[in-house]
Amino acid sequence: MKYKAVIGLEMHCEIKSNSKVFSSAKNEYDELPNCNVSEIDMAFPGMLPVLNKECVRKALLASLVLGCKQPDYIYFDRKNYYYPDLPKGYQITQMHAPIGVDGKLVIDVNGKEKEVLIHDIHLEEDSASLDHYSDATLIDYNRCGVPLLELVTEPCLNSAEEAVAFLETIRRIYQYCDISDADTKKGQIRCDVNVSIMNEEDKTLGTKVEMKNVNSFSNVYDTIIYEIERQSKLKDSGRYDEVIQETRRFDEETGTTIRMRGKVDAVDYKYFVEPNIPKYKLNNKWLEEIKKSIPMLPKDRKKMYIEKYLLSEYDANIIIKERITADYFEKCVILGINPKTAANWLIVQIVAYLNKNDIELKDFYLQPEYLKQITDAQEKGIISSKQAKEIFNKSLEEKREPNNYISMDNGQISDEKELNILIENILSNNTKQIEEYKNGKTNLFDYFVGQVMKETKGKANPIVTKKILKDKLDN
Amino acid sequence: MTELSIEKLHELLINGEVSSDELVKEAIEKSKKLQKKCNPFVTIIEDAEGKKVTDNLLSGIPYGIKDNYSTKGILSTGSSNTLKDYVPFFDATAVVNLKKAGVVAVNKTALDEFGMGGTGTTAHTGIIKNPWDINRMCAGSSSGSACAVASGVYPFALGSDTGDSIRKPAAFCGIVGYKPTYGMISRYGLFPFASSLDHCGVLTRSVKDAAIVVDAMKGKDDKDLTTWDSSNINLYDSIDGKVQGKKLFYIKEIVDLDNYPNASDELKKHLSIFNDSIENLRKLGVVINEISIDKNLLNVIPSVYVCISCAEATSNLSNLTGIIFGPRGKGKTYIDMMKDYRTNGFSPLIKRRLVIGSYILQKENQERYFVNAGRVRRLIVDKMKELFKEYDGLILPVSTGIAPYLDGSKDELSKDDTAILEEHLQIGNFGGFPSITIPNGFIDNMPVGINVTGNCFDDANVLNIAYALESTMNYKGMIAGGNNEI
Amino acid sequence: MSKFTSAMVDDYADKLLIGLSKEENDLVLKEFDIIDENMQKIANMEGIESVEAMTHALDDFTYDLREDIAKDSIAIEDLLKNCDNYEDREISVPKVIE
Repeated sequence: MKYKAVIGLEMHCEIKSNSKVFSSAKNEYDELPNCNVSEIDMAFPGMLPVLNKECVRKALLASLVLGCKQPDYIYFDRKNYYYPDLPKGYQITQMHAPIGVDGKLVIDVNGKEKEVLIHDIHLEEDSASLDHYSDATLIDYNRCGVPLLELVTEPCLNSAEEAVAFLETIRRIYQYCDISDADTKKGQIRCDVNVSIMNEEDKTLGTKVEMKNVNSFSNVYDTIIYEIERQSKLKDSGRYDEVIQETRRFDEETGTTIRMRGKVDAVDYKYFVEPNIPKYKLNNKWLEEIKKSIPMLPKDRKKMYIEKYLLSEYDANIIIKERITADYFEKCVILGINPKTAANWLIVQIVAYLNKNDIELKDFYLQPEYLKQITDAQEKGIISSKQAKEIFNKSLEEKREPNNYISMDNGQISDEKELNILIENILSNNTKQIEEYKNGKTNLFDYFVGQVMKETKGKANPIVTKKILKDKLDN
Repeated sequence: MTELSIEKLHELLINGEVSSDELVKEAIEKSKKLQKKCNPFVTIIEDAEGKKVTDNLLSGIPYGIKDNYSTKGILSTGSSNTLKDYVPFFDATAVVNLKKAGVVAVNKTALDEFGMGGTGTTAHTGIIKNPWDINRMCAGSSSGSACAVASGVYPFALGSDTGDSIRKPAAFCGIVGYKPTYGMISRYGLFPFASSLDHCGVLTRSVKDAAIVVDAMKGKDDKDLTTWDSSNINLYDSIDGKVQGKKLFYIKEIVDLDNYPNASDELKKHLSIFNDSIENLRKLGVVINEISIDKNLLNVIPSVYVCISCAEATSNLSNLTGIIFGPRGKGKTYIDMMKDYRTNGFSPLIKRRLVIGSYILQKENQERYFVNAGRVRRLIVDKMKELFKEYDGLILPVSTGIAPYLDGSKDELSKDDTAILEEHLQIGNFGGFPSITIPNGFIDNMPVGINVTGNCFDDANVLNIAYALESTMNYKGMIAGGNNEI
Repeated sequence: MSKFTSAMVDDYADKLLIGLSKEENDLVLKEFDIIDENMQKIANMEGIESVEAMTHALDDFTYDLREDIAKDSIAIEDLLKNCDNYEDREISVPKVIE
């Protein structure tokens, strides 16, 4: 890359809660329009915002995790503008005293560490959704008042890779802290992206161009790549003055950015303090409680998996990708399953099963307790690895505990006496092969095992069988 | 009978000398007559029916609701064309609380559009006239409520007060106007004008009636974060008239006649009536001192008020777009549509105030206007709180005299040296202080009023002082034009 | 000379989606001048910039935040009762061009 790119991000993410941030209407996506709406959301005359404690708690949690400073008092501002998706004519947000400022987060970009500076993180409300038809626009207020967490970085990222790695890291943190499901498919995350370019040796930043409402991480990536190239080309050809401070949008179809409005058209939002929400004094006790509730974050978990549980980095990365996977894994380990065994089951069998049947881990029948029944039996040699897989599938198919299959119809013959008689019998019918074995054709050992299996229809405990055979053949 | 006090009406109801139905019918009949004479109502609820009489002093008693309170199933316009057909599906909390007490709403009273005026001339239903002299104004914005209570339609009506909207019309109509401490009564369902200054309150014909009504209206409300628990305050029970040793102050720069070299006879008389009231209180053992406050600070009060109230109003009235409620505007785009609705729906006075508010909030102007106004607000409130450490309250005359003539009435900022005398009640809104106006005399057969304002949460004390003062005069329970026909 | 002009007033009104008549515009201008004069007095007050602006009527206030309990939605009939233009369950406005 010829020029140095400077990128800043604004990431809006819906907070998970039962009710909306300023009203008691359900905070839940619904296909049916206007079925999760209170009089507050639609701004009927005389309505007042009533701040949701849980939303404040989660915003504070994010603020703490991101190493931000918290304000002494929590209060809000009105951002005034007219648009049909904004019934009050203003959005309640935080401008004067965001819930977190001056944060810092070290992220991993392809194995290299990068420090990202966070300007602020604040709590605000979402707007209604507009459905555009050929002759009219219809308004659905279900989303209106849904809590949003907006995170603003300093312009400190230098590539599309860094930007996306940062977003992925934040997304994962939100999921781990249960702040949000952070599901881009459900539109729970939306980003604004600022891009400028400069010569490596320049002291001042270039002209900043903002792309609004980029709604997936891959689009964030494409937007940045496109915009750097667009600006570089203009700079190369001596037309850098054509890069102007403006707002553009990313067009998914063409993969380009398109001008929306210039800086002179910028709206004056006339921010002022929301008088209906008194300043709320933050007490240390609550902050401490929230701090204590912070779960172990993905980065630390990965480190633990590699150092303590001796997983490969590859495996560890897969497991920490989603909190629910990591939690599943850790539960297995706590229950006493060998970490490597647990990781294998999780990464190979379980992931394949989930993908094939298109279900999520949270709905997965075979919880760690059940998996342990299988791994225990396998470890004790009661079942073979092939049987373990069969039991795994059967248990899922019939939604019954694995133990049902381990002790009963799939039950192995592990009884030494019983196997002894059986093996004696087989050996007496294969004297020729014994001769050959003893003369050095040791690979015949598997032949004997095979015979035992054949006789028992595969139910002989392989470990016990091998032990008896070895005793008899080698002595 | 509706010209009687709440206590008296309750006695009659309990004794079966009158029924709630009869009182309600009487109030409706009086409303109809008064409507012809003074035009104070937006809606008369003709099918209102009496309610069961219980131990509650208010049960079965008719009352009026200012039309900027949301009332379920009843037209609620804020006296604005923007909401001329708006019928809410919920009641304001204050209305819910009163319903529980068993009162009966018989009308919705007209106001200066959304409470943003002080003349009673900007309601979409027309000018509201003073029942003492129909050529004069009631002041505002609780004009209809003041007019109806003064005319004996019922013992009380709801008001709202952002600058002096309860307390000045009370003075001009010869009745009691009380706005309690900010947050004592929930604002849920009150159409907002300026949220940090808006108060709910009541207009009555006696201090005790005001106490009874606010006792029923008040209370912490889950729907309004600015409300507080006042369950340990019982205003009616705490009125005992004992004021010996109480301390009040008045502000020299506002009441000293020397401040007004060109004082009219009316103003002179008004200040002399004020001094009579002061003497009456002193006779009861109240200590009253003269306090001097920096005139520069006092003189900017009206501008500070305009800055804060207009700025907040600009934002508060932004939900009026005609999209969800209100008559749809015309236009091919949503912007044209909203603009058509707002241009035709708002009266000129509101438009002016909104434009001023918008200017004040512009990024480049905010510091000079809005933020500085907030700073002066604090200086004034801090000064008052400091004085309230020593004093039980501030006592001042209301306005410069009697209700002005409607002809030539304006609602504009003035540069007159009497501006502070006209507007000082705004101090009560700046600090959320409890504040009550009661009648204290007549000039040219028109009533004038006096105001007592105290520290936050000290409502019982303020009412008790007002009650003691009321007891020294003969203006309690007055009906405009005597106790006869409207 | 006033630092305010009719054009400015119209511009502010327009941003509020309000149209003003000539008379309305003139009155605003007159009031602007009075306010500005007073605000100049305030700006001249010594030490004013170090005072913290008061934004709430009771600013030494303690209260509890709302517990996160969802309530049922308002019935669609009530939500749309006062609306002049809707389609099925949604409010309709002239097409908003993005």
